[in-house]
Amino acid sequence: MSEILLCNQSLAADSLQDIYSISGNDVVGVGCMKPTVFEAYTPYAVSQNPSSIDQSVLNQLKPRSVSQELTNLSLSFGGDNVVALADVTSKLQEYNIGLMGASTSVYANRIGGFAGAVKDYQAALMEFRQAIKTNPAVKNVAKQKAYAAFQKMQRNFQLELQAVTAHSKARKGTPLTSATRATNIARSSRNVTKLNVRNHIQASNLVKLSKHAKFLGNGLAVIDFGSRVGNIHNSYKAGENWEREMFVESSSFALSVSAGALAIKAGGAALTFLMVATPVGWVGLIIGGVAVAGVAATTSIIVNSGIKNNSGSWYDAIMEWIQS
Amino acid sequence: MSLFSSLLGVAALVGFFSIILFVVFGQVTVRKLRKNPETKNELGIEFVSGWDILNVAGALAMPRWINRKLRDSPLSALYANADILYKYTNTFDRILAKVFYGAWVLSVVSMLVLMLLDSLSFFD
Repeated sequence: MSEILLCNQSLAADSLQDIYSISGNDVVGVGCMKPTVFEAYTPYAVSQNPSSIDQSVLNQLKPRSVSQELTNLSLSFGGDNVVALADVTSKLQEYNIGLMGASTSVYANRIGGFAGAVKDYQAALMEFRQAIKTNPAVKNVAKQKAYAAFQKMQRNFQLELQAVTAHSKARKGTPLTSATRATNIARSSRNVTKLNVRNHIQASNLVKLSKHAKFLGNGLAVIDFGSRVGNIHNSYKAGENWEREMFVESSSFALSVSAGALAIKAGGAALTFLMVATPVGWVGLIIGGVAVAGVAATTSIIVNSGIKNNSGSWYDAIMEWIQS
Repeated sequence: MSLFSSLLGVAALVGFFSIILFVVFGQVTVRKLRKNPETKNELGIEFVSGWDILNVAGALAMPRWINRKLRDSPLSALYANADILYKYTNTFDRILAKVFYGAWVLSVVSMLVLMLLDSLSFFD
């Protein structure tokens, strides 16, 4: 396991020894050099004999855009959580490629929503941190905002949060499970954060996470759309009627999204009334949610294939009508 | 073009119409509500950007007792708050919401019913 050190301001090697009881001799930078001053937003490995894995991890985290985002993320979430989040994110991305056909699955939506809620929470924490430093007058307002964002995240994404924090061992709780802990971390003047990186793969997941952290919100329909554009391009290359193909692909995309969205709405309403009318608990809600996701995916697949089979003939009819 | 194909075409046409109304409603009504500090946190959960447009349209288009039931449930965070939205919308917004939501539901339901009938070889 590699341990990575990041700080958000430059730090002399001996102050590291004083404050965090890490000897400066145990820390190496990119290219095995022993630094005397730790630069801000630069990754260092905590290890006496750095292995080649340590070096390759450092190289992956070296670009400024990556390390800066990663430092800020770890400062507001805690290193453990960032590693866990990166893990979850990469798993979800793999899963979503399997869902390509179902252009609007509840699950893709939920992940977008979850990422959005986490992002809001992070923004509120950052704001609180900023307020402490620059404008103590609005400190309490900023703190309330962070709590509200935390509650919103907790209320809507309980399940995902559990998955993310399941293997975090922090005794005091983590920023993702406790807003008090998070605001305490934001208030304290910590500027060094340590990340435990289990292996190569996780290092590249971390890179992916910090690249995606800014725009995790949307983007999943893009995969589906990409495959459709590929179909159109293939038909163009094969010398077929690509305008017709474009009509077919775009109309089936639009209508299957629309049908999937309605299925989610209807399923959600059914689930809500079920919760009001019967003593079904959270377990029932989860099962119901999975069922709604399945129904929505099926609906959009069915509508997609139905429209694909028929919209070609609509195109022909429209062209005939225009030309006559 | 077969009978099934033409009927499905009509349903799809209504569907395209509703997608255009989705954009119009989003620009005309929901944009206004997103800017208003009183309503901007009352638009319901936003799974993907634009989902709040569906929440608002649902809140304005469906009967108010249904909305109250939904808002009182444990899953209330999913839905827009119709009572507050009524204060900040005019008649035109509500008509637009009803036409959009109606066209959307009608087109999807009729597409699904047509496909069901077709799979039961009703059109053969």
